[in-house]
Order: sequence, then C-alpha cells, then structure tokens
Amino acid sequence: MNNPADTDPDITDPTLAAHLDEAPSGAFALAGIAVALLLVAWAIIYLFVFLPRGPVG
Amino acid sequence: MAIDPLSNARSERRWAFAMVGAAMMMLFAIVWASLSPHMNPPSNIENVDPNTLHIAGEFTEDNLGTQVDAKGRVTTRIVTSQFSFAPECVVVPQDMQVTFRFVSPDVIHGLLVVGTNINTMVVPGYVSQVHTMFDKPGDMLMPCHEFCGLGHSQMVAHVRVVPIADFKPDENGRVACAEH
Repeated sequence: MNNPADTDPDITDPTLAAHLDEAPSGAFALAGIAVALLLVAWAIIYLFVFLPRGPVG
Repeated sequence: MAIDPLSNARSERRWAFAMVGAAMMMLFAIVWASLSPHMNPPSNIENVDPNTLHIAGEFTEDNLGTQVDAKGRVTTRIVTSQFSFAPECVVVPQDMQVTFRFVSPDVIHGLLVVGTNINTMVVPGYVSQVHTMFDKPGDMLMPCHEFCGLGHSQMVAHVRVVPIADFKPDENGRVACAEH
C-alpha cells in the first residue's frame, strides 16, 4: 500500500497535474505510430498479396 | 496548472476522426475491389442432399475430380469428409478458368489452397463453389482449415497445376493425378 515515506516530496499536486496534462500527446503519438504501422501492414498485404492473387467469387 | 478538459476532448475528437478515416479507407478499398475487379468472397447458394451424395447426382464417386465439358469448361468436384478429400489430388490447367465445387456429407469442413485466394467453408447441405485461374504450375497444398474432428490435422489434399500443353483430358473429358 502507499507509504508516505515512499512518496517523492517533489511530486506536488500542481506538478502532477502538469504531467497528466501532457500525457495525451505522448499517448496519441504511441497509439498513432502503432495504428499507422498496422494500417501500412494491412495495405501492403492487401495491395501486394491479396489483389495480385485475383478474384475467386 | 490544471488539466484542461477541453483540450483533452479536442484531442480525443481528432483521434476519433483519424480512426473513422482509417476504417473508411479500408472500407473504400474493399468496396472498390468488389466493384471494379469484382473481387468478392465466394458466394453460391445451392442446396444438395448430404444423405444421398454418394448414391446419385453430381457427386457420385465416378464423377469426382477434374472434368472438361463439351464447351471446354473445367470443373473440379471434390467431396470433403472426415478425414479426407475425395479425390486427394486433382489436376487443373494453368491460365484457364477453373471452377471448384465442394460438398460435405458429414460435418462442416473448410479449405484453402496455399498461395491463392481460394478459401471457403464446406457446409453439409450446400455446394461451395469457387472460380479461379492459376498463373503458375506446381503442386499446392489444400488442407482442411475448419476443425472437423480428431483426424482433422491429417486432412489434406493437393492441387496439381500443369501447363495447358500437359493438360490432356481422356475421351470422357477427365483428368486425374494418377497415371493411367
């Protein structure tokens, strides 16, 4: 459990709030890169594997 | 410095737009492929009685495998059952339209031909049909990809694609892997 002795005295409410406010940009950057890689992988498979194999319907 | 809820809401709205845009891009690609080069999933609603497959009709034993009809159309008929394909090897010509027709007398099977877009389920009571054209010769694996019982992992067939010059139907229009 939280022990007051383990708490960094430099972390005050205002500094915590400031860091939390910055969090979305880092989270969006991480999520954006992950989703972009996923989309690129999907596009490569779709364009260079699926389409050249031709229709089967 | 307090957290700005409006700023977070704007960020999340931008993210939502980006995600909807990504989904729309994939949807557009799929719709375009189905309308322009006609790349649709195999679709064929055709009933067949699984109890009498082996007795009468199109899928009796002597009618299985690859056959060229009077109009030159190539059709390959295969029965999928626990735990084998009949026949286990079929010959098809390269660079010609081929129609595969699959049925199952027992449980649901599925199959794919490795390296191609052929991929379909085989449901008892229905005929699964796939049209395709093979652009290179070779022996390709066709495993069952729907768990159908304890012998599922042993259920595999081969599609042998041969150049048109080597595709020689007999007097009945039939072509088989086995040498006569």
